[in-house]
Amino acid sequence: MILIVLLAEVFPKPAIIYEEVMSVKKLMLFVVTLALLCSAAAFAQDPVPGGTFRYALTTNPRGMFNPILHTEVYDSYITSVVFDGLIYIDEQLEPKPKIAKDWTISEDGLSITFHLHEGIKFHDGVELTSKDVEYTYKTILHPEYTGVRYGDFSVLVGAEDYHNGLSQEVPGIEVLDDYTIKFTTSEPFAPLLSQFTYGILPSHLLAHIPVGELEQADFNQHPIGSGPFKFVEFLTDQHVLLEANEDYFLGRPLIDTLVFQRVAEDALPIYIQQGRVDYAEISPEQYLEVQSIPGVDVYVYEALSYNYICFNMRQPRFADPVVRQAITYGFDRETYVQVLREGFGIVANAPIPTASWAFTTEGINEYPYNPQLAAQMLAEAGWKPGPDGILEKEGMRLEFEFLVPEGTRVNEQMALLFQQNMAELGIKVNLVFMEFSAAVDRVDARQFDTFTMGWSLSVDPDPYGIWHSTSPWNDPGFYNQRSDELLELGRRETDPEKRKEIYAQWQQLINYELPTMFLSYGVTIAAVSERVQGIDTEPGPLGPLVSLEKLAQIWLAQ
Amino acid sequence: MWRYIVRRIFLQGIPVLLGFTFVLYFVITIAPGSPVTHLRGLPNIDEETIARRAEQLGITEPFPVQYVKWLGRVLRGDLGRSFDSSRRPVAELILERMPATILLSLCSILLGWGVGIPAGILSARRQYSFLDYMITFLAFVGISAPSFFIGLLLLYVFAAKLNVLPAGGFFLAGEPRTFLGYVQYLLLPSLTLGLGNIAGIARYMRSSLLEVLGQDFLRTARAKGLSDNLVVYKHALRNALLPILTLMGFTIPSIFSGAVIVENIFAWPGLGSLAVQAVNERNYPVIMGINLMFAVLIFLGSLIADVSYALADPRIRYE
Repeated sequence: MILIVLLAEVFPKPAIIYEEVMSVKKLMLFVVTLALLCSAAAFAQDPVPGGTFRYALTTNPRGMFNPILHTEVYDSYITSVVFDGLIYIDEQLEPKPKIAKDWTISEDGLSITFHLHEGIKFHDGVELTSKDVEYTYKTILHPEYTGVRYGDFSVLVGAEDYHNGLSQEVPGIEVLDDYTIKFTTSEPFAPLLSQFTYGILPSHLLAHIPVGELEQADFNQHPIGSGPFKFVEFLTDQHVLLEANEDYFLGRPLIDTLVFQRVAEDALPIYIQQGRVDYAEISPEQYLEVQSIPGVDVYVYEALSYNYICFNMRQPRFADPVVRQAITYGFDRETYVQVLREGFGIVANAPIPTASWAFTTEGINEYPYNPQLAAQMLAEAGWKPGPDGILEKEGMRLEFEFLVPEGTRVNEQMALLFQQNMAELGIKVNLVFMEFSAAVDRVDARQFDTFTMGWSLSVDPDPYGIWHSTSPWNDPGFYNQRSDELLELGRRETDPEKRKEIYAQWQQLINYELPTMFLSYGVTIAAVSERVQGIDTEPGPLGPLVSLEKLAQIWLAQ
Repeated sequence: MWRYIVRRIFLQGIPVLLGFTFVLYFVITIAPGSPVTHLRGLPNIDEETIARRAEQLGITEPFPVQYVKWLGRVLRGDLGRSFDSSRRPVAELILERMPATILLSLCSILLGWGVGIPAGILSARRQYSFLDYMITFLAFVGISAPSFFIGLLLLYVFAAKLNVLPAGGFFLAGEPRTFLGYVQYLLLPSLTLGLGNIAGIARYMRSSLLEVLGQDFLRTARAKGLSDNLVVYKHALRNALLPILTLMGFTIPSIFSGAVIVENIFAWPGLGSLAVQAVNERNYPVIMGINLMFAVLIFLGSLIADVSYALADPRIRYE
């Protein structure tokens, strides 16, 4: 019986043992032996190799299966199983070793040295070495590079000169030997490590192609990487088919075939019911229907995203934090989340999601719905009803446009609720529904009073890119010296505890200032067939498959 | 006749296509939103990268320059490369989806003819009967109900409730591609797409046949003692089919534009989702490519209709 307990303890999460791959292999062997020994008792835990796992996609991938060039999330699904990065991000959002068996960070926090596994082979049999890593990252910095990842690595020493064609070398990327590579930044940059997840490209197949023409290479539709699955075929608008990599350095995946199957969004519940797909992300509207299907488990987990209503602080009427706070008090966000979103979301009061390690509730005002308080705050700040009942102060008027990208029912209902709540305070909201691209144009031109949109965030919580005064994405026009200082400090601090403290302070500041009214943190809903074994059944923000990391380990029950 | 066709193509077709592409390119470039708008949501992207991208795509140039460059490429047989991250040639994107769209459209046209004409004949021969009222009623439903509604309804009944047909999509990876399989996957989308067409043809057929049936020469035929079937199918039908023939040419555009919507509902691997995606992302070369192709098809459709009209009716001559 002890054996069985041990088995149950160890098996469901083989990924937690990562430091040494050999030990993972040995352990797997050990576990498999154990499983064989007591297979009668451990019937439910027997991993069965073989079978086809189908993952539903509602949108066709573009066919850009190149980890440094794609911009669409569906293409990234394919690259993340065909290619391996130096590291991967685990369910706790921590960087963990992959192609790099470990790494060392220098005392001054300026450089990271990765030590690569030896003997990793690309799918064409050629060995992966630090040359390939160098090629991959140097290409991102190349002046003719057509992709969008330069901003992630512009902090490397010499990256800017190389990017602008002023030098031929990047001193910040150093190949020390075939299995060691060192990256150096000019100042400490805490988010850097978590960005080394991009798949490593085979330089022997690509180095001869000019970087500017790389995006037109045939390779992008027939990728060759070193990951757990080999690319087989891509049929436009139908499926992407992949097969297990027999020689995968972390052990052959248990499933034989992996399919990303295109399914119409409305048809998802039927596909799940008929067992035509094993895994699908579904919408809140589909939740009840899918949950009642026997043999299917539904997981709801927090996503790394939030949505908001942005105030244009360049306008004098929104410049006073009291106005922004009062409007927040005056909007019933609880009803928005519980009724309009049917509980799929969490009321947000700062821009770092609950799922992140930097999230804090300490010193955070929750702005509970309180129209009396809101009215009182506005009155105390000198806002008085004009002849038409709308609040006025010194020639300013609380009548404004609210720009809402159309297409999602929940958003449109939220806008109506907001309009209604504001009317009770004597604030007139004029709704402007607009197609998404057109709305973004207005926001970019700063031609808005207020608007609503959302952000999806990277794994590292660094909010600099959205909130620093110099950021082009600082839509509200939030210029605050203390905030800038904290943001700069936060990226430079490499001690996680101190960093957490800095971001806690910053969240308190932003929670007081409210350059945007935070609405809710998002959640994702995943439906998984019960025959799929070995997933994370208490998923974090990366879901039951931990992005797609688990695909190499799951197996299918008969 | 040949002179007519050549004149139609060179004096009418080409100028119309040129004007059409010019207006379309102008409209999509002045529409708000730009092909690089969607890059904005990517983590850590900087403004310089977006500006570089805009330059690489050539969208920083003024509209006339962009249009002339595009036209120059098209005249040399190159539709350009898609603006999305894959940068695949537009012709390739269209060609790999074309067979599915043509298959679906053909099936729904065949369905329209195969069901619409007999229904119209039945309706006309039994004018004011219960059957006639039923067909008329169903035809009005078919014409008025929007295809997305019909599509979802059919999906709900046949896939979700009865579980007898697949819920849209196409063959799963590894599923054998049998004839029966094609029928199963094609049935619902082509029915959805063809329904309006069936209804329209049935109505046209009915009124056209009724009109012919009331004419003198048919009374003469009957007076000669010909059987009713012979009168209808040999003499009346040939005349009544004439206007329907013209209709064919003009249903082609509506079938193709309808296919865009129906394909999206059923996740049919044709041009539909590409077209919608391209519009949402302001993917100029793809929008232009698809529309140019549709414009050519529509032009050819109306040309064929006119020509076949002349072939079917000896009184009509084009000079």
